[in-house]
Amino acid sequence: MLHDLLTVTIIVSVLASTLKIATPLLLAALGELVTERAGVMNLGVEGTMLIGAYAGFIVVFRTESLALGYLAAVLAGGIMGLFMVFMASSLKVDQTVTGLSINLFATGFTLFLYRVAFGDISDLPIIVPSGKISIPVLSEIPILGDILFKQSWLTYFALLMVPIIAIFLYKTKYGLAIRAIGENPRAVDTVGLNVTKYQYLCVIFGGMMDGLGGAFITIGTLSNFLPGITAGRGWLAVILVIAGNWQPLWIFFATLVFAFLDATQLQLQGFGVPVPYQLLLSLPFIIALLVLMGSRARSLAPKFLSKPYIREVTK
Amino acid sequence: MIADIFKNYKIEERQNASIYTKVGFFILAIVMSLIISFILIRYAGADVKDAAKSLFTGAFGGKRELIESLIKATPLILTGLATVVAFKARIWNIGQEGQLFAGAMMGYWIYLIADTQFVWLNIILAIIGGFIGGALCGWIPALLKVYFKVDEVLSTVIINYIMAYFLSFMLSATGPWRQADSFYQQTPLIADNAHWPLLFEGYRLHFGFVVALIAAFIMYLIMSKTPLGYEIRAFGSNPSAAEAQGISSSKLFMIIMIISGGLSGLAGAGELFGAELRLSSRISPGYGFTGIIIAMVAGLNPIGVIVAAILFGGLLNGAVRLQVVTGVPSALISVIQAMVLVFVLISRVLTSYRIRRIKNVA
Repeated sequence: MLHDLLTVTIIVSVLASTLKIATPLLLAALGELVTERAGVMNLGVEGTMLIGAYAGFIVVFRTESLALGYLAAVLAGGIMGLFMVFMASSLKVDQTVTGLSINLFATGFTLFLYRVAFGDISDLPIIVPSGKISIPVLSEIPILGDILFKQSWLTYFALLMVPIIAIFLYKTKYGLAIRAIGENPRAVDTVGLNVTKYQYLCVIFGGMMDGLGGAFITIGTLSNFLPGITAGRGWLAVILVIAGNWQPLWIFFATLVFAFLDATQLQLQGFGVPVPYQLLLSLPFIIALLVLMGSRARSLAPKFLSKPYIREVTK
Repeated sequence: MIADIFKNYKIEERQNASIYTKVGFFILAIVMSLIISFILIRYAGADVKDAAKSLFTGAFGGKRELIESLIKATPLILTGLATVVAFKARIWNIGQEGQLFAGAMMGYWIYLIADTQFVWLNIILAIIGGFIGGALCGWIPALLKVYFKVDEVLSTVIINYIMAYFLSFMLSATGPWRQADSFYQQTPLIADNAHWPLLFEGYRLHFGFVVALIAAFIMYLIMSKTPLGYEIRAFGSNPSAAEAQGISSSKLFMIIMIISGGLSGLAGAGELFGAELRLSSRISPGYGFTGIIIAMVAGLNPIGVIVAAILFGGLLNGAVRLQVVTGVPSALISVIQAMVLVFVLISRVLTSYRIRRIKNVA
């Protein structure tokens, strides 16, 4: 009897934390999906999330307003996206190296700002993170209510973004244009659409989603900022786009599977299973490698991904 | 809308930019990075002149400072070279950090099992072990690329994380390498007869600096004088044309990643046996990533890497004094490095392309 109760409680807690873990990954992966569909490979997701995580944290710390914190994270992410697309689309700088420069910049810049703001103090500056929102009626449903309807608002938002982005990409003319740019920018240009403008909007949107994902870590769940707090989640998001074969729904499923494994791993740690915690921590990355090995097909990768579109002006 | 402004401009290739243009844009890139550094120093509440002075004297102000900068430059030369050989072939190995740790760990493991008293044998084993450790760590992404088509950017980044956790495990309370009575995650000190010799009496500069210089010279020879160097450059500029000439891309990919990983591994061995003298995560405060920036700044030139590495080593070294004297966090240096990379990337584009306004846009 007690044993059964324990099992149900554990399953509920694992599944609920699956959604929590999935949130920043899903936000960033969906942003990266739109970015890559427009032909730009943004490898600066990790750094952009880190900037968002810091921006959100410091603004909440100073103003005690969570709303302003999220706004700051979105803005900061958008600025990083703007930088990425300016380099990629306007200057045609190599996208891999540009993304890398964003990550290096973010690591140094957030650490610098954190040290300027707080010095080398030993007690961590903390903020009060967003609470969970229980959705009326639905959260009363036994088991399911505890898993699905007692989450942070950003979790609901991330889940909602899956169908929104799917519909946007596949059912609207803008989505069609974006997908076409990833496949054949010249054709889109010939039709008279502004390829550069679309790419700017998509990459900035991607950056904003990254920023929001980063903010979820600091002001959505944890209550503090640490250097390198994103801990590779940005890279995992990039990999989830590949694992989901550039389709919103599959990316969603891939993220859930990934987050579930991570949640299970955390639960095992909590039980004090005699496995070194470093091994458990590296598990998501080992799984990511296996996922990459398994997704050889990549049938839906945009053909012009990470290739700059150089306009031929006939005049 | 910024995009609209850019619509009215066209980017066209510049016909062979003169050396003056190149140098001019390079200087512009450095000046831009400096301006941003000044802004950040002001933001940190320090006087720009004081900060610049302490940074410079900390880096190159005297014999001791200069030599300390060369110590910092030692691993940077090697990780820079590791980047050059890969990036020349347009293979985006960004796993230098993990490969460096792999080299240090392999070197340490061989040191433990060999347990020899002979100084020179220890040095040779450390060099071989460091190279092999890094090379293995570079070979894995190459295998994944060749047999599973896994993008090397992602696999090398992932392996960086895995290596960091692996090292942390080996040095943890349950791990085999932890110094028994230590509070920190570190091994005991390396035995005296395994230390790499010092180059000057009374200074910490070690044999690793010579290894790095020799490596740079060998890489220069390989890149410019051998068929392998030709193949690397051919593969980088046009892989399909290189294939048509009978260059096996899979084989080349593996050779390049083995060399690249091995060079980073040497950096790890040098830090372990020459500078830190014990294995811990302090072996590298990001030498792998700085090496990438150095290679880009040096224009992927092995000899240029030496110069850039000494400058960046000086920055890292001067940052310590900067923080002590003015209170500006030493993390400033990471920001400067990233800025230099960005502006060098931009200046390279401006050198090879020119932006012209398109007239009569409808």
